[in-house]
Amino acid sequence: MSFTTLPFLVLVVLSVAIYYLLPHRVQWAALLGASMIFYWVGGGKTVLYVFYTAVTVYAAGRLLGHYNDLRRAAPKEEKKALSAKYKPYRQAVVLVTCLANFVLLYLLKYWNFTADLLQPLADVLSPGTTLPLSELILPLGISFFMFQSIGYVIDVYRDKYPPEKNFAKLLLFVSFFPQMVQGPISRFDQLAPQLLAPRKLDFTNLKYGIQLVMWGYFKKMVIADRAAVLVNTVLNDPWSHSGSIIAVGVLFYCIQLYGDFSGGIDITRGVAQLFGIDLAENFRRPLFSTSLTDFWRRWHITLGAWMRDYLFYPLSLSKPFGKLGKFTRKHIKGKLGKIIPTSLATFIIYFVIGIWHGANWRYVAFGFWNGTIITLSLLLAPQFLRWKQALHIKDQSKGWHLFQLVRTNLLVFLGRYITRAPRFLTAVWMMKETLLHPNLPDLYNGTLLTLGLGKGDFLLLFCGVAVMLTAEWFQETRGHIRPALEQRSPFVQWLAILVPLAVLFCFGVLRADYISSDFIYKQF
Amino acid sequence: MKEQLLAILTEAIPGVDFETETALVEDEILESLDIVTIVSEIKDAFDVEISVDDLIPENFNTVEAMLALIQARKD
Amino acid sequence: MTSKQWLALFLATLLLLGACVLGFNYWVDPFGVFNHTSLEWSSYEMTRNPRTAKMTYLEDHHQEYDSYLLGCSSTSSFPVESLNKYLDARFYNMIMYGADMLDVESQAVYLLEHYEVKNLVVNVYLDNARDYNTLPDPARSYAMPPETTGENPAAFFADYLFMDPRLSFDKLKAMRADTILTQPFDVFNPETGAYDKTVRDAESVGNLDHYLENYPVFANYPPAHNTTIEAAVTGTLDSLTHIRDLCAQKGVNFLVLCAPVYADYMAYYDWDQVKEFYTRLAQVTPYWDFSYSSVSFEPRYFYDETHFRNCVGEMALARVFGDDSRYIPEDFGVYVTADTVQEHLETMMQASPLPAERYTAEVPVLMYHHIDQNGDDSTNITPELFEAQIAALAQAGYTAVFPDDLAAYVNTGKALPEKPVVITFDDGYLSNYTYAWPILEKYGMVATFFMVGSTTGNTDHYKDTSHPITPHFSFAQGAEMVASGTISLQSHTYDMHQWAPYESTDQPRENILPLAGESEEAYRAVLAEDCQKIRQAIEEGTGEERVHVLAYPSGRYNTLAQVSLLENGFDITFTTEVGTNTLIKGQPQSLLGLHRYNMNEAVSVDQMMSWVSPARG
Repeated sequence: MSFTTLPFLVLVVLSVAIYYLLPHRVQWAALLGASMIFYWVGGGKTVLYVFYTAVTVYAAGRLLGHYNDLRRAAPKEEKKALSAKYKPYRQAVVLVTCLANFVLLYLLKYWNFTADLLQPLADVLSPGTTLPLSELILPLGISFFMFQSIGYVIDVYRDKYPPEKNFAKLLLFVSFFPQMVQGPISRFDQLAPQLLAPRKLDFTNLKYGIQLVMWGYFKKMVIADRAAVLVNTVLNDPWSHSGSIIAVGVLFYCIQLYGDFSGGIDITRGVAQLFGIDLAENFRRPLFSTSLTDFWRRWHITLGAWMRDYLFYPLSLSKPFGKLGKFTRKHIKGKLGKIIPTSLATFIIYFVIGIWHGANWRYVAFGFWNGTIITLSLLLAPQFLRWKQALHIKDQSKGWHLFQLVRTNLLVFLGRYITRAPRFLTAVWMMKETLLHPNLPDLYNGTLLTLGLGKGDFLLLFCGVAVMLTAEWFQETRGHIRPALEQRSPFVQWLAILVPLAVLFCFGVLRADYISSDFIYKQF
Repeated sequence: MKEQLLAILTEAIPGVDFETETALVEDEILESLDIVTIVSEIKDAFDVEISVDDLIPENFNTVEAMLALIQARKD
Repeated sequence: MTSKQWLALFLATLLLLGACVLGFNYWVDPFGVFNHTSLEWSSYEMTRNPRTAKMTYLEDHHQEYDSYLLGCSSTSSFPVESLNKYLDARFYNMIMYGADMLDVESQAVYLLEHYEVKNLVVNVYLDNARDYNTLPDPARSYAMPPETTGENPAAFFADYLFMDPRLSFDKLKAMRADTILTQPFDVFNPETGAYDKTVRDAESVGNLDHYLENYPVFANYPPAHNTTIEAAVTGTLDSLTHIRDLCAQKGVNFLVLCAPVYADYMAYYDWDQVKEFYTRLAQVTPYWDFSYSSVSFEPRYFYDETHFRNCVGEMALARVFGDDSRYIPEDFGVYVTADTVQEHLETMMQASPLPAERYTAEVPVLMYHHIDQNGDDSTNITPELFEAQIAALAQAGYTAVFPDDLAAYVNTGKALPEKPVVITFDDGYLSNYTYAWPILEKYGMVATFFMVGSTTGNTDHYKDTSHPITPHFSFAQGAEMVASGTISLQSHTYDMHQWAPYESTDQPRENILPLAGESEEAYRAVLAEDCQKIRQAIEEGTGEERVHVLAYPSGRYNTLAQVSLLENGFDITFTTEVGTNTLIKGQPQSLLGLHRYNMNEAVSVDQMMSWVSPARG
C-alpha cells in the first residue's frame, strides 16, 4: 500500500479516529490493528514474515531477559562468574536470532543474485544442474522491520532495557505501519514507550502531523513523481541520449530520490505525529553536507546509526581488529598506523550499506564508491591538512564551506550514476559519455522538452525544488519554520493551508505522466 | 591520568577545547570514527577493557565522563 | 490561531477544494451524464461515452426521432439518411463502440418503453458472437447509464462527480482546440448519432497500392488467430430474442442486419462456430446477411479492419429496400430465414473477391488550357497538335466521356466504353470555343470546360481593370457549346482563381485554399457562396444541366476544402496531380481528386498515347 493511494489515507484517518476514541489502556491496539490491516492489504500473505520476525525476536528477547534477570539476582561476588557462564548462551541466542532473520532476508532478497553468480560454478561442478531461483514475493519493508527487530535483540543482549513481555506489543513495535514503506529504523527504547503510552487528543499534534504529511506529499508527488518521468525516459534507455542529457537525467534522479525518500519519511513522521508519536529523524538536509561522511550522517540517519551501533562499534572493538590495531601501530608510524583498523571497519560498513540497498552489482559498486572515498579521505586527512595550511584556508571561511558543499554534492551525484544505471558497466559508460560526448546544445535546443516533461513541468519542478531548498536553508540557518509561521496573521496561515492543498491537488494528484488523449475510437 | 587522556584526545581531534565541552557526542564534535580511535587508544594507554556496551553518548560527552568510565573499568 | 482553529480551517479548506472538484466535474460533464446545458458539447461527450451521452441527448431530442438503429461501432456505417428515405422515418443511430448484445438489449428496452418507436434496426456483428456482458477499460467510456441497467444511480453519478478533474479539464482544452473538421475528441455527429465521417468520406480513394499505403492496417494484417465464440452466443441470442418479442408486443417494425466483415478479420474465427452462430441466429429472427461476400475482400470498402465504409452501408440498405438505382455487388446481401440458412451459409462461405475489371475501371484524364498558335507556354498548345492528338485518340478507338459518365459507372454500375478518356480544359479561354469545340465535334469527342465565373466573357481586360487578358468565352458562347451536347461546362470556381498582380486586395484568392489567418467559418461561408454563384451562373447562363464537378484552381486543395466542396454538392473533383485514375463501383470517393495529364505543345502524340493506354497491373 503506497502512501499516494486513497486506501492509505482512509486507513490513516480511520485509525486516528479510532485511536482517540478507544479507552487509553487499549489505544495501542488500534495501532496494531491498523498495522495489520496495512500489511494485509499491502502484502497479503507476506504478513507472515512480520509474524516470523516478531516471534523470533520475542523469544530471543525473553530468553536474554531471563539470563539478565538471573545475573542481576545473583549476589555480587558471583556476578562475574555467572556472567562468564551465561555469555556463550546469550551470544548463541543473538546469533541464532540474527541467522534466523538474515538467512530469510538473504533468501528473499539476495539468493537470486548469488544463484546467478554461482550458476557457472555449478555448471562446472555438476553440469546440467540449474540452481533454483526464489519466486517468493519480497515482503514490504522487510529490511526496515528486520533491522529494527535485530536492534532490539542486541539491545536486550546488552541489557540496555528489559525485554517486552507482551507479544502483541512487541508485534506492534515490529510492524508499526507508517514506517513500513520507507523506514525509519527505530529503536525500541525510543519508539515502544510512545506506541504504548496512553494519549489524549492533542490538536497541536494533529496540526503538526498534517503539516508534515502535506510537506511530504509535496516533495513526493509534486517534485519526485514529476522528476521521475524524465529520469525513466533518460536512464531506462541511456544509450539513446547524449552525455549532457544523461547528466540531467542523473541530476533529476538525485532530485527524485531525495524528494521521494525524504518526502516519504515526512509522511511517515507526520502520520506518527497524528498519534502523538515522535519518530526518529531520518534526514537532516543532506544537501548541506560538507563531506561524504557528513552526508551519511544526514541521509538515512537511522540506517547509519544502526550500522554504527550494531556493526561498526562491535567490529572495531572486536579482538581481530584490536590485534590488527596493535600490529599496524607497531609497524607504521604516525597517525596512519592508528587509523588503519578504523578505516577498514569504515570500508566494510559502507560496503554493507551498499548491499543493504539491494542485490545487484550496482549496489556493490556503490558501497565500494562510498567506502573508498571515505576511507581514502581518512587516510589522507593529514596530507589534506598540510595542503590547507599551505594554502592558508581557514575552516570558517565561507568560500571553503561552499567548496565543501559543492565537492560533497558532486561526489553524491557521481555515486547516483552507479545506483541508477541499468547495470554497473553502463554507469561507467554513462560517466564517460557525460565527460567525452556531452553534446551541450542538447541542453538548450529543445531536446529537454522531448523527455516526457513539458515546459510547465520544468517550471513547476524548478519552483518546487526552489521552495524545498529555501525551506531547508531556513531550517539550516534560522531554525524552525512552523513557529515562525504561527506568528503571522490568520489569513497568511490560511494561505499556508490553501496553497499547499491546491498545489498538491493540481500538480500532485494530477500527475505529470497523465495521458489525456485516451479516446477509444481512433479512425475518425 | 587526565593529562594523558587529554593528550590522546588532542592528538585525535586537534583544535577542540575538551575541558569546557559538555556534549562532545551530541554536538557531533566526536564522531563514531573518533570514538573508536579514542577507545582503542584508551585501551592501550590505560590497559582497560572497554566493550561495545560502553559506547553510549553519555560516556563520551565530557572528559570527566570518559575518566569515570576508565576508572570504572579499571576496578 | 489555536491549533483547534487551524484544524477547523484545514478541514474547511479541504472540503472547499473537494466541493470545487465536484462542482467542476458537474459543470463540465465530459461524459454527458448530467443533463444540463452549460458547456454542452454532445459530440465530445458521445466520444467519451456514447452510451451515456446519447441517452442524455435523447432526453431533450427524442421528439425529433421515431426510429432507432442499434449496435456496435460498425453500425455507424448504415446511414440513417438512407433508412429515413426508404422507411419514411426519422432514425437515430445509437451505435456504441464495443457494444455487446446486452448493452443493445438494455438500450432497446429503455427506448421502447420510454419513447415513441416505429422501427428498430439491430446490427448483429460477428463480434457479438464473441463478447457478451463485458466491460472493457476505461470503464467510464463503456458504462451504460443507470436508467437502462437499473443500477444504483447514486453510485453511478457519484463516480462521475468524484472522478479525476483532469477529464473535465481535457474537455475545456478540447473546446479551445476544436475545428470544424473531425478531431479525435469529437468523432460523433450528435444529430444523427453516427460517427462524423466528413473527413474520411472526402478523401480521394482510388489506386489500391496507394490506399494500402495510407491504411497500413490492411497491408500488414496481423496473422490469423483462432477466436472462440461459443461462450457469448447464448447470451447474445437471448438478448436478441427479448428485443424481438418486445418489438412484436409493441407493434414495432424489427429488422436485423449483419454488417460486412473484412475477410482477413473473418479468418480469425472458427468457421464451424460462425456457421453455428448464424444458424441459431436464424432460429431467433430472419436477418439480412452482409457479413461475408466479395465486398469483404476489398479494403477500399473499409475504414479499418472492423469498420466498413458509409458507401457500403448505402449499398446494403439499397439491397434491403430493393433500390435498383444503385450499384450493388450481386453476392452482397441475402435475406436469411430459418429455412434458408443452411443453404445460404454454404454459399456464403464460398465467397471470393470479384475480378478487378468487374468493378473497377482505369480512366485517363487529359488537361488542356489555352489553344494558341504560339505554343511555347507550358499550358499552351497549337491547334494543329491538339487536332493531331484528338485524331489519334479517335483512331485508336478511344471514346471521350463526361464526368457524369464516370459518376454513373461508380454509382449505378453503368458500363463505360471500352477505352474511355476524359478531356478537360481549364480556365474558360475563348480558344476553347474557337478551336477546341469544332475539332472535338469533328472527331465525335466530348469534353468538359472548367470555367472561372468572374472572368467569363472578358475579352480585353481582366475583370473591370485595364489590365489586358487572354480572351475568355462568354456565357452565350457557353450556351451554344452546351446545346451541342459536345461540351459540359463545370466549375473552376466563380472567383477563387484570381490573378494576384491585377487584384487590388491585399489578400487575393489565387486558389481555393483558405487565406492566411482566415477563420474556418469565414472561409466556409466564402466557399459556399462561390459554389452557389458559379453553379447559378453556369446553369442559368448556359443551360448546363447540373454543375457539380470542379477542377481545383492551380490544383491546390486541402481537407477543409474537400469537405466543404462535398457539402456544397461538388462530388467530382479534378486535381493537377499526374497519373491515371481507378474508379470503383459503389465507392463514390473514387470520383474525388482525379488525376490529370497536363497537355501542352511539348506532349507528342506518341507520348499521349503511352499515357492513356491501359496499363493494368
